Amino acid sequence: MEVVAINQISPDQVILFAWSFVTINATLVYSWLIMALLVIGSLLVTRNLSTDRTLSRWQNLMEVIVAGIRSEIGDMVKEGVNTYFPFVGTLFLFILASNLFTFIPGYVAPTSSLTTTAALSIMVFFAVPMYGIAKQGVLEYLKEYFRPTFIFFPFHVMGEFSRTLALAVRLFGNLMSHEKVIAILLAVTPLFFPVVMQILGLLIGLIQAYIFAILTMVYIASATQSHEETEHKPK
Amino acid sequence: MHIDWFVFFSQIVNLLILMFLLKKFLFGRIVGAMDAREAKIAARFAEAERSQEEAETAAAACERKLQDLEARHEEMLNQARRDAEAYRERLLEKAREEVDFLKNRWSEALRSERENFLQELRQLAGNQIYAITRRVLKDLAGLDLEERIVDVLLTRWVALDEEERRRFLSEGAEGQQITVSCAYEIPADIQRRFQESIVPYLPEDVEVAYERSEDVLSGWELRADGHKIAWSIKDYIDSLEERFYGALQEAAQERKA
Repeated sequence: MEVVAINQISPDQVILFAWSFVTINATLVYSWLIMALLVIGSLLVTRNLSTDRTLSRWQNLMEVIVAGIRSEIGDMVKEGVNTYFPFVGTLFLFILASNLFTFIPGYVAPTSSLTTTAALSIMVFFAVPMYGIAKQGVLEYLKEYFRPTFIFFPFHVMGEFSRTLALAVRLFGNLMSHEKVIAILLAVTPLFFPVVMQILGLLIGLIQAYIFAILTMVYIASATQSHEETEHKPK
Repeated sequence: MHIDWFVFFSQIVNLLILMFLLKKFLFGRIVGAMDAREAKIAARFAEAERSQEEAETAAAACERKLQDLEARHEEMLNQARRDAEAYRERLLEKAREEVDFLKNRWSEALRSERENFLQELRQLAGNQIYAITRRVLKDLAGLDLEERIVDVLLTRWVALDEEERRRFLSEGAEGQQITVSCAYEIPADIQRRFQESIVPYLPEDVEVAYERSEDVLSGWELRADGHKIAWSIKDYIDSLEERFYGALQEAAQERKA
Protein backbone atom coordinates (compact mmCIF):
# COMPACT_ATOMS: atom_id res chain seq x y z
CA MET A 1 0.00 0.00 0.00
CA GLU A 2 1.60 3.15 -1.11
CA VAL A 3 0.41 6.50 0.17
CA VAL A 4 3.32 8.57 -0.99
CA ALA A 5 4.43 7.77 -4.50
CA ILE A 6 8.06 7.05 -5.16
CA ASN A 7 8.39 10.30 -7.03
CA GLN A 8 6.76 12.28 -4.22
CA ILE A 9 9.32 13.52 -1.77
CA SER A 10 6.95 14.53 1.06
CA PRO A 11 3.55 13.44 2.41
CA ASP A 12 2.57 17.11 2.01
CA GLN A 13 2.07 16.28 -1.62
CA VAL A 14 -0.67 13.78 -0.76
CA ILE A 15 -3.57 16.19 -0.45
CA LEU A 16 -6.76 14.70 0.90
CA PHE A 17 -8.87 17.80 1.09
CA ALA A 18 -8.39 21.36 -0.19
CA TRP A 19 -10.60 24.36 0.13
CA SER A 20 -9.28 27.85 -0.35
CA PHE A 21 -6.07 28.03 1.71
CA VAL A 22 -7.19 25.14 3.90
CA THR A 23 -5.34 22.02 2.90
CA ILE A 24 -5.69 18.69 4.66
CA ASN A 25 -2.83 16.47 3.55
CA ALA A 26 -1.34 13.17 4.77
CA THR A 27 1.09 14.98 7.07
CA LEU A 28 -1.68 16.58 9.01
CA VAL A 29 -3.83 13.45 9.18
CA TYR A 30 -0.98 11.28 10.42
CA SER A 31 0.01 13.96 12.93
CA TRP A 32 -3.53 13.89 14.31
CA LEU A 33 -3.37 10.12 14.46
CA ILE A 34 -0.13 10.24 16.40
CA MET A 35 -1.52 12.92 18.72
CA ALA A 36 -4.68 10.90 19.30
CA LEU A 37 -2.62 7.82 20.00
CA LEU A 38 -0.41 9.64 22.48
CA VAL A 39 -3.29 11.33 24.29
CA ILE A 40 -5.51 8.21 24.43
CA GLY A 41 -2.54 6.12 25.45
CA SER A 42 -1.70 8.61 28.20
CA LEU A 43 -5.27 8.57 29.44
CA LEU A 44 -5.31 4.78 29.49
CA VAL A 45 -1.94 4.48 31.19
CA THR A 46 -2.61 7.15 33.79
CA ARG A 47 -6.15 5.94 34.50
CA ASN A 48 -5.05 3.69 37.35
CA LEU A 49 -1.69 4.94 38.48
CA SER A 50 -0.09 3.07 41.31
CA THR A 51 2.10 4.69 43.91
CA ASP A 52 3.03 1.38 45.50
CA ARG A 53 5.84 -0.97 44.65
CA THR A 54 3.72 -2.90 42.12
CA LEU A 55 2.74 -1.06 38.94
CA SER A 56 1.49 -1.92 35.48
CA ARG A 57 3.83 -2.52 32.55
CA TRP A 58 2.59 0.55 30.67
CA GLN A 59 3.00 2.74 33.73
CA ASN A 60 6.45 1.30 34.20
CA LEU A 61 7.32 2.07 30.56
CA MET A 62 6.01 5.62 30.79
CA GLU A 63 7.84 6.17 34.06
CA VAL A 64 11.06 4.96 32.48
CA ILE A 65 10.60 7.35 29.55
CA VAL A 66 9.58 10.29 31.73
CA ALA A 67 12.37 9.66 34.24
CA GLY A 68 14.87 9.32 31.36
CA ILE A 69 13.84 12.64 29.79
CA ARG A 70 13.93 14.38 33.20
CA SER A 71 17.31 12.88 33.90
CA GLU A 72 18.70 14.11 30.56
CA ILE A 73 17.30 17.59 31.20
CA GLY A 74 18.64 17.52 34.73
CA ASP A 75 22.12 16.73 33.43
CA MET A 76 22.10 19.96 31.43
CA VAL A 77 20.38 22.44 33.69
CA LYS A 78 20.91 22.84 37.39
CA GLU A 79 17.33 23.87 38.08
CA GLY A 80 13.96 24.23 36.40
CA VAL A 81 13.69 20.69 35.09
CA ASN A 82 9.91 20.80 35.43
CA THR A 83 9.81 24.07 33.40
CA TYR A 84 11.45 22.62 30.28
CA PHE A 85 10.24 19.08 30.67
CA PRO A 86 6.74 19.40 29.04
CA PHE A 87 8.13 21.12 25.96
CA VAL A 88 11.12 18.87 25.44
CA GLY A 89 9.16 15.78 26.44
CA THR A 90 6.36 16.55 23.99
CA LEU A 91 8.83 17.07 21.15
CA PHE A 92 10.61 13.83 21.99
CA LEU A 93 7.45 11.73 22.32
CA PHE A 94 5.85 13.19 19.17
CA ILE A 95 8.94 12.64 17.04
CA LEU A 96 9.58 9.21 18.57
CA ALA A 97 6.00 8.04 17.99
CA SER A 98 5.99 9.49 14.46
CA ASN A 99 9.23 7.72 13.58
CA LEU A 100 8.58 4.35 15.22
CA PHE A 101 5.31 3.58 13.41
CA THR A 102 7.02 3.64 10.04
CA PHE A 103 7.13 -0.15 10.08
CA ILE A 104 3.33 -0.19 9.67
CA PRO A 105 2.45 -0.47 5.97
CA GLY A 106 0.54 2.59 4.71
CA TYR A 107 1.87 4.80 7.47
CA VAL A 108 3.94 7.82 6.57
CA ALA A 109 5.84 9.61 9.29
CA PRO A 110 4.72 13.25 9.62
CA THR A 111 8.37 14.00 10.45
CA SER A 112 9.35 13.05 6.89
CA SER A 113 7.62 16.29 5.85
CA LEU A 114 9.71 19.43 5.86
CA THR A 115 6.61 21.39 6.92
CA THR A 116 6.39 19.41 10.16
CA THR A 117 10.10 19.58 10.94
CA ALA A 118 10.10 23.28 10.11
CA ALA A 119 7.18 23.78 12.47
CA LEU A 120 9.06 21.88 15.18
CA SER A 121 12.22 23.89 14.56
CA ILE A 122 10.35 27.20 14.61
CA MET A 123 8.86 26.23 17.93
CA VAL A 124 12.36 25.62 19.23
CA PHE A 125 13.51 28.85 17.62
CA PHE A 126 10.96 30.81 19.62
CA ALA A 127 11.05 28.70 22.74
CA VAL A 128 14.79 29.19 23.31
CA PRO A 129 14.68 33.02 23.66
CA MET A 130 11.44 32.75 25.64
CA TYR A 131 13.04 30.49 28.21
CA GLY A 132 16.23 32.58 28.14
CA ILE A 133 14.37 35.84 28.75
CA ALA A 134 12.18 34.21 31.41
CA LYS A 135 15.29 33.05 33.19
CA GLN A 136 17.68 35.96 32.75
CA GLY A 137 15.56 38.94 31.70
CA VAL A 138 15.51 40.68 28.32
CA LEU A 139 18.71 42.69 28.74
CA GLU A 140 20.80 39.90 30.08
CA TYR A 141 19.55 37.60 27.36
CA LEU A 142 20.24 40.14 24.59
CA LYS A 143 23.68 40.81 26.03
CA GLU A 144 24.54 37.21 25.17
CA TYR A 145 24.41 38.15 21.50
CA PHE A 146 27.19 40.67 22.04
CA ARG A 147 29.58 38.44 23.91
CA PRO A 148 32.48 38.39 23.91
CA THR A 149 32.29 41.56 21.68
CA PHE A 150 29.59 43.21 19.56
CA ILE A 151 31.35 41.89 16.43
CA PHE A 152 29.95 38.48 17.29
CA PHE A 153 26.32 39.69 17.10
CA PRO A 154 25.81 38.78 13.41
CA PHE A 155 27.38 35.41 13.98
CA HIS A 156 25.10 34.74 16.91
CA VAL A 157 22.06 35.69 14.79
CA MET A 158 23.25 33.55 11.92
CA GLY A 159 23.85 30.75 14.38
CA GLU A 160 20.27 30.98 15.60
CA PHE A 161 18.89 30.69 12.11
CA SER A 162 21.31 28.10 10.88
CA ARG A 163 20.78 25.75 13.82
CA THR A 164 17.01 26.07 13.36
CA LEU A 165 17.41 25.22 9.73
CA ALA A 166 19.75 22.40 10.63
CA LEU A 167 17.23 20.97 13.11
CA ALA A 168 14.50 20.98 10.49
CA VAL A 169 16.54 19.64 7.61
CA ARG A 170 18.35 16.98 9.71
CA LEU A 171 15.14 15.37 10.88
CA PHE A 172 13.37 15.74 7.55
CA GLY A 173 16.38 14.49 5.59
CA ASN A 174 16.90 11.41 7.69
CA LEU A 175 13.27 10.34 7.70
CA MET A 176 12.54 11.20 4.12
CA SER A 177 15.68 9.50 2.83
CA HIS A 178 14.92 6.43 4.91
CA GLU A 179 11.42 6.16 3.42
CA LYS A 180 12.74 6.64 -0.07
CA VAL A 181 15.44 3.99 0.53
CA ILE A 182 12.77 1.57 1.75
CA ALA A 183 10.57 2.30 -1.25
CA ILE A 184 13.45 1.82 -3.69
CA LEU A 185 14.58 -1.39 -1.97
CA LEU A 186 11.03 -2.77 -2.10
CA ALA A 187 11.04 -2.16 -5.80
CA VAL A 188 14.46 -3.71 -6.34
CA THR A 189 14.65 -6.52 -3.77
CA PRO A 190 11.25 -7.03 -2.15
CA LEU A 191 12.56 -9.71 0.26
CA PHE A 192 14.90 -9.56 3.25
CA PHE A 193 16.67 -6.24 2.66
CA PRO A 194 13.61 -4.02 3.27
CA VAL A 195 13.12 -5.80 6.62
CA VAL A 196 16.69 -5.07 7.68
CA MET A 197 16.26 -1.48 6.59
CA GLN A 198 12.99 -1.24 8.57
CA ILE A 199 14.84 -2.38 11.68
CA LEU A 200 17.53 0.16 10.95
CA GLY A 201 14.77 2.71 10.41
CA LEU A 202 13.49 2.10 13.94
CA LEU A 203 16.96 2.81 15.28
CA ILE A 204 17.31 5.91 13.12
CA GLY A 205 13.90 7.15 14.24
CA LEU A 206 14.82 6.69 17.91
CA ILE A 207 18.18 8.38 17.46
CA GLN A 208 16.67 11.31 15.56
CA ALA A 209 14.05 11.86 18.24
CA TYR A 210 16.77 11.77 20.86
CA ILE A 211 19.00 14.14 18.89
CA PHE A 212 16.19 16.63 18.30
CA ALA A 213 15.22 16.66 21.97
CA ILE A 214 18.80 16.83 23.20
CA LEU A 215 19.72 19.65 20.82
CA THR A 216 16.62 21.54 21.87
CA MET A 217 17.66 21.14 25.47
CA VAL A 218 21.22 22.18 24.66
CA TYR A 219 19.95 25.36 23.03
CA ILE A 220 17.67 26.11 25.98
CA ALA A 221 20.46 25.39 28.43
CA SER A 222 22.87 27.66 26.55
CA ALA A 223 20.28 30.43 26.51
CA THR A 224 19.49 30.14 30.21
CA GLN A 225 22.89 29.38 31.68
CA SER A 226 25.60 30.70 29.35
CA HIS A 227 25.99 33.96 31.21
CA GLU A 228 26.19 32.31 34.65
CA GLU A 229 28.72 29.81 33.41
CA THR A 230 30.83 32.62 31.90
CA GLU A 231 30.84 34.45 35.20
CA HIS A 232 31.74 31.37 37.20
CA LYS A 233 34.33 30.08 34.81
CA PRO A 234 37.67 29.73 36.64
CA LYS A 235 40.33 32.19 35.46
CA MET B 1 10.12 20.44 -1.75
CA HIS B 2 7.91 23.18 -0.47
CA ILE B 3 6.30 24.28 2.77
CA ASP B 4 2.53 24.36 3.05
CA TRP B 5 2.01 27.31 5.39
CA PHE B 6 -1.45 26.21 6.47
CA VAL B 7 -0.06 22.84 7.47
CA PHE B 8 2.95 24.54 9.01
CA PHE B 9 0.86 26.67 11.39
CA SER B 10 -1.55 23.79 11.93
CA GLN B 11 1.37 21.66 13.08
CA ILE B 12 2.47 24.37 15.49
CA VAL B 13 -1.03 24.55 16.94
CA ASN B 14 -1.23 20.76 16.97
CA LEU B 15 2.00 20.52 18.93
CA LEU B 16 0.94 23.20 21.38
CA ILE B 17 -2.33 21.32 21.96
CA LEU B 18 -0.43 18.06 22.28
CA MET B 19 1.96 19.65 24.77
CA PHE B 20 -0.97 20.87 26.84
CA LEU B 21 -2.73 17.48 26.76
CA LEU B 22 0.39 15.50 27.51
CA LYS B 23 1.29 17.81 30.35
CA LYS B 24 -2.19 17.38 31.77
CA PHE B 25 -2.75 13.69 31.18
CA LEU B 26 0.71 12.18 31.13
CA PHE B 27 3.61 14.17 32.51
CA GLY B 28 1.81 15.65 35.48
CA ARG B 29 0.22 12.39 36.51
CA ILE B 30 3.31 10.26 35.96
CA VAL B 31 5.55 12.73 37.76
CA GLY B 32 3.00 12.98 40.57
CA ALA B 33 2.89 9.20 40.90
CA MET B 34 6.69 9.01 40.88
CA ASP B 35 6.97 11.77 43.48
CA ALA B 36 4.34 10.06 45.62
CA ARG B 37 6.21 6.78 45.34
CA GLU B 38 9.48 8.52 46.11
CA ALA B 39 7.91 10.14 49.16
CA LYS B 40 6.53 6.79 50.23
CA ILE B 41 9.93 5.14 49.79
CA ALA B 42 11.59 8.00 51.65
CA ALA B 43 9.02 7.63 54.42
CA ARG B 44 9.64 3.90 54.51
CA PHE B 45 13.38 4.47 54.59
CA ALA B 46 12.92 6.95 57.40
CA GLU B 47 10.70 4.46 59.18
CA ALA B 48 13.24 1.72 58.57
CA GLU B 49 16.03 3.93 59.87
CA ARG B 50 13.95 4.81 62.90
CA SER B 51 13.15 1.15 63.44
CA GLN B 52 16.81 0.31 63.03
CA GLU B 53 17.76 2.98 65.54
CA GLU B 54 15.12 1.68 67.92
CA ALA B 55 16.35 -1.85 67.36
CA GLU B 56 19.93 -0.75 67.97
CA THR B 57 18.87 1.08 71.10
CA ALA B 58 16.92 -1.95 72.26
CA ALA B 59 19.86 -4.19 71.42
CA ALA B 60 22.20 -1.93 73.38
CA ALA B 61 19.76 -1.93 76.30
CA CYS B 62 19.50 -5.72 76.11
CA GLU B 63 23.29 -5.95 75.98
CA ARG B 64 23.55 -3.77 79.06
CA LYS B 65 20.90 -5.83 80.84
CA LEU B 66 22.70 -9.01 79.87
CA GLN B 67 25.96 -7.65 81.19
CA ASP B 68 24.21 -6.56 84.40
CA LEU B 69 22.66 -9.99 84.72
CA GLU B 70 25.99 -11.68 84.14
CA ALA B 71 27.66 -9.42 86.67
CA ARG B 72 24.86 -10.06 89.15
CA HIS B 73 25.02 -13.77 88.41
CA GLU B 74 28.77 -13.74 89.01
CA GLU B 75 28.29 -11.75 92.19
CA MET B 76 25.60 -14.16 93.37
CA LEU B 77 27.83 -17.10 92.55
CA ASN B 78 30.69 -15.56 94.49
CA GLN B 79 28.35 -14.78 97.37
CA ALA B 80 27.03 -18.34 97.28
CA ARG B 81 30.59 -19.66 97.24
CA ARG B 82 31.48 -17.46 100.21
CA ASP B 83 28.31 -18.52 102.05
CA ALA B 84 28.98 -22.17 101.29
CA GLU B 85 32.58 -21.79 102.46
CA ALA B 86 31.43 -20.09 105.65
CA TYR B 87 28.73 -22.73 106.15
CA ARG B 88 31.30 -25.46 105.60
CA GLU B 89 33.60 -23.80 108.11
CA ARG B 90 30.74 -23.57 110.60
CA LEU B 91 29.82 -27.20 110.03
CA LEU B 92 33.44 -28.24 110.40
CA GLU B 93 33.76 -26.21 113.57
CA LYS B 94 30.53 -27.69 114.87
CA ALA B 95 31.65 -31.20 113.95
CA ARG B 96 35.00 -30.51 115.59
CA GLU B 97 33.25 -29.30 118.70
CA GLU B 98 30.97 -32.31 118.68
CA VAL B 99 33.94 -34.61 118.20
CA ASP B 100 35.77 -32.85 121.02
CA PHE B 101 32.67 -33.05 123.17
CA LEU B 102 32.21 -36.75 122.39
CA LYS B 103 35.89 -37.35 122.88
CA ASN B 104 35.84 -35.60 126.22
CA ARG B 105 32.72 -37.42 127.24
CA TRP B 106 34.20 -40.68 126.12
CA SER B 107 37.45 -39.89 127.92
CA GLU B 108 35.50 -38.92 130.98
CA ALA B 109 33.44 -42.10 130.76
CA LEU B 110 36.56 -44.13 130.20
CA ARG B 111 38.33 -42.49 133.11
CA SER B 112 35.29 -42.92 135.29
CA GLU B 113 34.95 -46.52 134.23
CA ARG B 114 38.62 -47.08 134.84
CA GLU B 115 38.39 -45.53 138.28
CA ASN B 116 35.32 -47.57 139.09
CA PHE B 117 37.05 -50.64 137.87
CA LEU B 118 40.15 -49.83 139.91
CA GLN B 119 38.01 -49.06 142.91
CA GLU B 120 36.23 -52.35 142.58
CA LEU B 121 39.52 -54.05 141.95
CA ARG B 122 40.99 -52.41 145.00
CA GLN B 123 37.98 -53.43 147.04
CA LEU B 124 38.09 -56.91 145.73
CA ALA B 125 41.86 -57.21 146.02
CA GLY B 126 41.74 -55.78 149.54
CA ASN B 127 39.10 -58.26 150.56
CA GLN B 128 40.91 -61.12 148.94
CA ILE B 129 44.26 -60.14 150.39
CA TYR B 130 42.65 -59.68 153.76
CA ALA B 131 41.01 -63.05 153.57
CA ILE B 132 44.16 -64.71 152.25
CA THR B 133 46.30 -63.03 154.86
CA ARG B 134 43.89 -64.16 157.56
CA ARG B 135 43.97 -67.72 156.34
CA VAL B 136 47.73 -67.72 155.86
CA LEU B 137 48.26 -66.33 159.31
CA LYS B 138 45.82 -68.85 160.73
CA ASP B 139 47.21 -71.81 158.86
CA LEU B 140 50.88 -71.08 159.24
CA ALA B 141 51.12 -69.27 162.59
CA GLY B 142 47.80 -69.96 164.26
CA LEU B 143 47.29 -66.21 164.54
CA ASP B 144 44.11 -64.15 164.07
CA LEU B 145 44.41 -61.24 161.70
CA GLU B 146 42.09 -58.95 163.53
CA GLU B 147 43.92 -59.63 166.73
CA ARG B 148 47.18 -58.87 165.04
CA ILE B 149 45.82 -55.64 163.72
CA VAL B 150 44.59 -54.73 167.17
CA ASP B 151 48.02 -55.61 168.45
CA VAL B 152 49.62 -53.34 165.95
CA LEU B 153 47.27 -50.51 166.81
CA LEU B 154 47.78 -51.05 170.48
CA THR B 155 51.52 -51.23 170.01
CA ARG B 156 51.40 -47.93 168.16
CA TRP B 157 49.09 -46.49 170.81
CA VAL B 158 51.39 -47.62 173.55
CA ALA B 159 54.41 -46.34 171.64
CA LEU B 160 52.92 -42.85 171.71
CA ASP B 161 54.35 -40.66 174.42
CA GLU B 162 52.10 -38.66 176.70
CA GLU B 163 52.35 -35.51 174.67
CA GLU B 164 51.33 -37.22 171.47
CA ARG B 165 48.51 -39.05 173.16
CA ARG B 166 47.23 -35.77 174.62
CA ARG B 167 47.39 -34.10 171.26
CA PHE B 168 45.54 -37.04 169.77
CA LEU B 169 42.79 -36.66 172.29
CA SER B 170 42.81 -32.84 172.11
CA GLU B 171 43.61 -32.12 175.71
CA GLY B 172 41.09 -30.09 177.69
CA ALA B 173 38.10 -31.14 175.69
CA GLU B 174 35.39 -32.91 177.60
CA GLY B 175 33.03 -35.67 176.52
CA GLN B 176 35.34 -36.88 173.79
CA GLN B 177 34.87 -40.02 171.76
CA ILE B 178 37.33 -42.30 170.10
CA THR B 179 35.89 -44.00 167.05
CA VAL B 180 37.23 -47.30 165.90
CA SER B 181 36.36 -47.94 162.29
CA CYS B 182 36.69 -51.18 160.43
CA ALA B 183 35.56 -52.41 157.04
CA TYR B 184 34.00 -55.42 158.78
CA GLU B 185 31.84 -55.88 161.72
CA ILE B 186 34.19 -55.96 164.72
CA PRO B 187 33.56 -59.12 166.74
CA ALA B 188 32.54 -58.60 170.33
CA ASP B 189 35.54 -60.36 171.82
CA ILE B 190 37.88 -58.23 169.81
CA GLN B 191 36.00 -55.19 170.94
CA ARG B 192 36.29 -56.25 174.54
CA ARG B 193 40.02 -56.94 174.26
CA PHE B 194 40.62 -53.63 172.53
CA GLN B 195 38.58 -51.86 175.20
CA GLU B 196 40.52 -53.47 177.96
CA SER B 197 43.84 -52.66 176.39
CA ILE B 198 43.20 -49.02 175.51
CA VAL B 199 41.06 -47.76 178.36
CA PRO B 200 43.92 -47.54 180.89
CA TYR B 201 45.49 -44.94 178.64
CA LEU B 202 42.41 -42.85 178.27
CA PRO B 203 40.84 -40.28 180.50
CA GLU B 204 37.67 -41.42 182.21
CA ASP B 205 35.24 -39.32 180.20
CA VAL B 206 36.43 -40.65 176.85
CA GLU B 207 34.14 -43.17 175.22
CA VAL B 208 35.11 -45.76 172.61
CA ALA B 209 32.72 -46.32 169.73
CA TYR B 210 32.88 -48.96 167.03
CA GLU B 211 31.58 -48.53 163.53
CA ARG B 212 31.75 -50.22 160.22
CA SER B 213 33.17 -48.07 157.46
CA GLU B 214 33.73 -48.97 153.81
CA ASP B 215 36.29 -46.22 153.62
CA VAL B 216 38.69 -48.09 155.81
CA LEU B 217 39.97 -50.66 153.43
CA SER B 218 40.74 -53.97 155.11
CA GLY B 219 42.11 -52.44 158.25
CA TRP B 220 41.43 -50.55 161.40
CA GLU B 221 41.34 -46.90 162.16
CA LEU B 222 41.47 -45.12 165.51
CA ARG B 223 40.06 -41.63 165.12
CA ALA B 224 39.53 -38.77 167.56
CA ASP B 225 38.89 -35.15 166.86
CA GLY B 226 40.70 -35.00 163.54
CA HIS B 227 43.65 -37.23 164.57
CA LYS B 228 43.87 -40.86 163.72
CA ILE B 229 45.99 -43.92 164.18
CA ALA B 230 45.40 -46.53 161.52
CA TRP B 231 46.56 -49.62 159.80
CA SER B 232 45.18 -50.95 156.60
CA ILE B 233 46.30 -52.79 153.57
CA LYS B 234 45.67 -49.63 151.53
CA ASP B 235 49.36 -49.06 150.95
CA TYR B 236 49.75 -52.56 149.66
CA ILE B 237 46.69 -52.17 147.50
CA ASP B 238 48.04 -48.87 146.15
CA SER B 239 51.25 -50.56 145.22
CA LEU B 240 49.34 -53.39 143.60
CA GLU B 241 47.14 -50.93 141.74
CA GLU B 242 50.16 -49.04 140.50
CA ARG B 243 51.74 -52.15 139.14
CA PHE B 244 48.50 -53.39 137.70
CA TYR B 245 47.92 -50.03 135.96
CA GLY B 246 51.47 -50.07 134.64
CA ALA B 247 50.92 -53.56 133.21
CA LEU B 248 47.68 -52.42 131.56
CA GLN B 249 49.37 -49.43 129.93
CA GLU B 250 52.14 -51.64 128.69
CA ALA B 251 49.68 -54.07 127.13
CA ALA B 252 47.78 -51.21 125.51
CA GLN B 253 50.98 -49.80 124.05
CA GLU B 254 51.93 -53.17 122.63
CA ARG B 255 48.51 -53.59 121.05
CA LYS B 256 48.65 -50.08 119.55
CA ALA B 257 52.11 -50.80 118.15
